[in-house]
Amino acid sequence: MNKLYALALMTALTAPTVHAQQSGKDVYTKVCATCHSTGLAGAPRYGNGGDWAPRAQAGTAKLYQSALAGTPKGMPAKGGNTSLADAEVKGAVDYMLAAVKDALKAAKPEPEAKKAESKKEEPKKEEPKKAEAKKDEPKAASAAAPVAAPAALPVTEAAAAGAAAAASAPGDVNSFNRLLKPVGKRNLPPPEDGIHDPANDGTHALQPPLAAYGGLPKSNAGNRINWVEALNQKKINPRYDRTDPRAEPVVMDLNIVREVKGSMPDVVYPHKQHTEWLDCSNCHPAIFVPQKGANAISMAAILLGEKCGVCHGKVAFPVSECRNCHSKKKDLPVKAATAETAAK
Amino acid sequence: MKKILRLRGAVALTLMLALFAGLFVDIPDAQAEYGDVVINNYSDKAGMRPAVFPHWFHRMRFRCKVCHADLGFKFKAGGNDINMVKIIDGQFCGACHNGDIAWSVENCNLCHSGKPGTPTQVHESTIQKLAQPAAAPKK
Repeated sequence: MNKLYALALMTALTAPTVHAQQSGKDVYTKVCATCHSTGLAGAPRYGNGGDWAPRAQAGTAKLYQSALAGTPKGMPAKGGNTSLADAEVKGAVDYMLAAVKDALKAAKPEPEAKKAESKKEEPKKEEPKKAEAKKDEPKAASAAAPVAAPAALPVTEAAAAGAAAAASAPGDVNSFNRLLKPVGKRNLPPPEDGIHDPANDGTHALQPPLAAYGGLPKSNAGNRINWVEALNQKKINPRYDRTDPRAEPVVMDLNIVREVKGSMPDVVYPHKQHTEWLDCSNCHPAIFVPQKGANAISMAAILLGEKCGVCHGKVAFPVSECRNCHSKKKDLPVKAATAETAAK
Repeated sequence: MKKILRLRGAVALTLMLALFAGLFVDIPDAQAEYGDVVINNYSDKAGMRPAVFPHWFHRMRFRCKVCHADLGFKFKAGGNDINMVKIIDGQFCGACHNGDIAWSVENCNLCHSGKPGTPTQVHESTIQKLAQPAAAPKK
């Protein structure tokens, strides 16, 4: 009797967490995720508001019915696992609905969120105190786009402002036409980084870069880690072999000096730092002919992703770090002497 | 408080300017980690999210040589003809992502986690800042 009461209460409250048997999340992970994580056979994807919105319109009861009895579109009864209790299936439905709750609230998540954001900016400047009360609504709408988890409800003003700054570049005065990224925009966690899909559950499982960068030596460009230094200081110990953790790199310590035009310091190319990471065959002979003077390298080529630019400007430090390569000062006295003779 | 009020005009002006500039300048709005590679050779057509390869995560564990020399990954985003059959067969990502060295292929969404429609690219690369990729969606 107690159990029945609990079940009835649970269904009424649509709360997936108080399961006596398997939680909605467990059922989702074990059964439903097979199709509902990837959208296999047209299944509405977990965390994807667009997939769920038309189906949710018919009401939760209808969704329960589809989940329990199956649909002609391809949903098998109870997700194909008939040993599940009805309540467990419903719990799984609730769990999946909870993930798109915010998206469903906002009828059109994308444009709504953007509108809400730009609105949010102005009242904040005018009357910060009144705006505070209003802020909760647009925040919920804007949260619909990036986050599947209904985590950030009571956010402080500072956090909200930070999130807004991260989300909408034009809203931030200083971000306009700014070439260098401000601190708050570097090394963002996957759901906020702009290329990962926040509606994808896997995105939230990925490690945020900053969680791994603690203690690594910093640099001024790229992902702001000095990887060569990190290796030197043994802060990281990446394997040199796929399976053998003890394999040691074949390091060649040979500097190549390239004289360059103009007043720019000459380039010193260190084989050492490169062979600690790479194999000879990575660069020779396809990218660089292994012969001094045989390679025509220009900054233009590098900028376009050739020669050094195959890595530098993509994963290795970019060309903005001029002095990392152009590191050998030219002999100034010689220059002065030539200037003197020219004057005569 | 006063400062905020004073800034109001500037903010409005800048917003307008930014919007106006937005009409002409195609600023790439994505900001992922430097070196993240988006691979969208087949994903979009297959109804999957494009795969995102985080270089930073891998270079903390393996030197470049392991993938780029031993496994034969070319230094070009999208330049390796990778598909799931090859991965399951132990080639490319599958050399490690086999449940043995790293987690295996049933975790579809950990790799296929890009925004649908994102073109193949090395994220934040210099070339990307200089020239928008040909397949980039027009805004």
